[in-house]
Amino acid sequence: MQHVIDISSDRLRLEEGRWQPLARRLQTAGLGAIVVALAIGAFGLESLLRAYVMNLCYYVSIALGALFFVLLQHLTRAGWSVVVRRLAELFTTAFPLLALLAAPAVLLILTGGLLGFPAAVHQVYPWTDAQYVAKEPLLQAKAPYLNAGFFAVRLAVYFAAWVGLSAWLLSRSLEQDRTGDPAITRGLGKWSAPAMYLFALTLTFFAFDVIMSLAPSWYSTIFGVYYFAGAMLSFCALLALTVHLLQRAGYMVRAVSVEHMHDVGKLVFAFVVFWSYIAFSQYMLIWYGNIPEETAWYAVRQTGGWIALSLLLLFGHFMLPFLMLISRAPKRRLQVLAGLACYVLVIHWLDIYYLVMPPYYFKLSDPGTAPFDLLGLLLAGLLAVGMGALLAGYVLRRMAMHPLIPERDPRLTESLAFTNI
Amino acid sequence: MRTTDNNGREFDNTADDPRQRAELVTGGLGFADVTEVVSNVAERPRPPLAWYVALAISVSLLGVLGAMILYLFSTGVGVWNLNNPVCWGFDITNFVFWVGIGHAGTLISAILFLFRQKWRTGINRMAEAMTIFAVICALLFPGIHVGRVWLAYWMGPLPNQMAMWPQFRSPLLWDVFAVGTYFTVSLMFWYVGMIPDLATLRDRARGKIQQVAYGLLALGWTGSSRNWHRFEIAYLLLAALSTPLVLSVHSVVSFDFAVSQLPGWHTTIFPPYFVAGAIFGGFAMVVTLAVPSRALFGLKNVITLRHLENMNKIILVTGSMVGYAYAMEFFIAWYSGNLYERFTFMSRALGPFAWAYWTMIGCNVVAPQLFWFKFFRTHIWAMLLPVMCVNVGMWFERFVIIVTSLSADFLPSSWGGYYPSWVELLTLAGSFGLFMTLFLLFIRFLPSIAMAEIKTVMPQAEGKGPRGFDYNPDEYESPGRVLATGGSH
Repeated sequence: MQHVIDISSDRLRLEEGRWQPLARRLQTAGLGAIVVALAIGAFGLESLLRAYVMNLCYYVSIALGALFFVLLQHLTRAGWSVVVRRLAELFTTAFPLLALLAAPAVLLILTGGLLGFPAAVHQVYPWTDAQYVAKEPLLQAKAPYLNAGFFAVRLAVYFAAWVGLSAWLLSRSLEQDRTGDPAITRGLGKWSAPAMYLFALTLTFFAFDVIMSLAPSWYSTIFGVYYFAGAMLSFCALLALTVHLLQRAGYMVRAVSVEHMHDVGKLVFAFVVFWSYIAFSQYMLIWYGNIPEETAWYAVRQTGGWIALSLLLLFGHFMLPFLMLISRAPKRRLQVLAGLACYVLVIHWLDIYYLVMPPYYFKLSDPGTAPFDLLGLLLAGLLAVGMGALLAGYVLRRMAMHPLIPERDPRLTESLAFTNI
Repeated sequence: MRTTDNNGREFDNTADDPRQRAELVTGGLGFADVTEVVSNVAERPRPPLAWYVALAISVSLLGVLGAMILYLFSTGVGVWNLNNPVCWGFDITNFVFWVGIGHAGTLISAILFLFRQKWRTGINRMAEAMTIFAVICALLFPGIHVGRVWLAYWMGPLPNQMAMWPQFRSPLLWDVFAVGTYFTVSLMFWYVGMIPDLATLRDRARGKIQQVAYGLLALGWTGSSRNWHRFEIAYLLLAALSTPLVLSVHSVVSFDFAVSQLPGWHTTIFPPYFVAGAIFGGFAMVVTLAVPSRALFGLKNVITLRHLENMNKIILVTGSMVGYAYAMEFFIAWYSGNLYERFTFMSRALGPFAWAYWTMIGCNVVAPQLFWFKFFRTHIWAMLLPVMCVNVGMWFERFVIIVTSLSADFLPSSWGGYYPSWVELLTLAGSFGLFMTLFLLFIRFLPSIAMAEIKTVMPQAEGKGPRGFDYNPDEYESPGRVLATGGSH
């Protein structure tokens, strides 16, 4: 190692007294925005339900990205990333609140809708509508999987796995802050391998259950990978943004250097390309095969106002960030990288929007055109702010309880001394 | 040269202490020792007997390949048992198998380079060479399977008086471009990386022939800082260019199948699934070749147990990805509710080709699970069991995909079976002869380990280490370093 950075003067803890009020204000504002969204949503329950599901999937994806990042660092015995790993661990503390936020969806599906919701639930998740299923042999064929009871059980399993896994990873890491025991690192490395299996399966089936089943006749084997690509991309962007904000507030200024951010920027770039590769694979194969059951899903997204969103993703989710991030300079200028990270977070939100919001049409004889749902956009925006602020406040509280870096990780010195060649 | 520790066992540098990185060169070797050990392979007057035996077998098989191709050309593709509906059989199975093998090299040299995986330096040269030879074997099959081989040039976009142009909408044509590009860039990458080491062999050469041959290949390398500066820029750029190629080649190969509407072929996960499978099979082949090479040519201190263990871990990871893809295909086939999809997968598992399917599952999904145990990752004979299974299993995977889907599609009246003719079997065997002949010649006559690169990951490169300056033994005490005290010559 070339040289060791002295971080004794670095501020590595958020003072609770300073940050708790902000967290409280964020949560209040978040709840306020959610209430407003619910009030407006009374005029369009289907739009409201879709907006809620899409934002849930959006925030779950970021937390899943963080969970994967932590597992991957342990599994590969990564050295460079130690100084940013704790932030990822702290992001995953969002899972209990995300589970709570997912509960209404499960309840709505289990009860077949409350307070006039049945029609909306049936429109959003057509497989919950017994009358509709009775007319559709394809849906009857998959009824053993797509039914309310099993759906609820599966979601409970996924969230239990994520809450448990993330709590375990954080608690072991905090334990090491106290003891400095290298055996903890070894144990985490060892158990991260089987944990990856759990992660891969739960993420995939979450994507199948919550997003793919919105169009229950449609299927794509790559769909879990598609959701994963966006998850990792948005997490890396949020990581870059968070580091930037913390450093502007005077925290971890020496611990996290431009070298680490350069690497985070490389990961953002890599996952922009990976997402594009997966999105292209899915689109091209379905387009080329031209089988009606598969193309129907894209057909909806290429009519009405949705075509604009499709094209926006092609240019905005791939070409633009690809060109912006390919050179070295933007990845090493933190302000530029933070700006790009904001952009990536927005474009990933639009990607989830594109997956969830368009209506489902199976009747190919009469596909009609799907008008772009402006009310849905408004509600989705409101809920994005509301749920985002609520989650940010929740995570900020937890961030203020713990050190911002794993203080006694055996690879900390390696990470501090890390430089790109 | 010591290749064992004080207890007479091979140096075990696989211990996992998070406080410090394990050493990647064992036996207390310094820079000069690494040059000695590696150059010795090419400089020793004669290689071990086993090399001659292996070469004799390989060249014989190569002869068989030549005879089979001659027979094919002179008689026609009827000598293969291909017919409707199974119009692709061993030929395309072999093609995809060999292209897949050809993925590990560029993954190691490009992607692991970008990931700063220092251990790649011990095996990258060998793996890259293997990549080149595997792609040569792969390119052979589409070339010879076209029937009228004298018209194979039609695949290229060559202006001609018939104004005939390739069908750019066909994935088979994309294959020509994808594999062609991959071969070209891999070859360049391999060669550029080899230049400093070729110069080393040139400078050490005693005979005139060696001096001239290595001298020509070394392109006037002087080892000046300017040379190194340009070399490193070129290497980084080639790594960046090769990275998308690692993904694109097998993705395009998967398009050959996935763009169709055939159940079992048309599925969206094919591109990443094929890439994972290619890396899986490629690494298995690297381990297969590295194990005897390091034993025969005294390379155990540079291709250490840790290198083998890491590769075995990658085999476990990519094997799990392949298992994930199998599971997704199966689940979605059921979930689709589509009669034909469901039938195809049930027929794979229970139909006339069930033996091939279960061979594939056993070799690709079950066998690599042994690598959960450190014993299997770090003991030579134990690791060869799963690795050999993977070599077999990845061939069967392509066979299962190609043959089961073709043999029973939508209409029962058009179903049909398939078994290979003796010509097809011998052609497959012959392709191994081609591959092994090239590999054996490479390992004997070219720098089989990236000497220059391996030195950059040794502790001495940072001014530390057993024979460098500024060495502090306390700083370097680890379970794998008992050897540092015990003199290396």
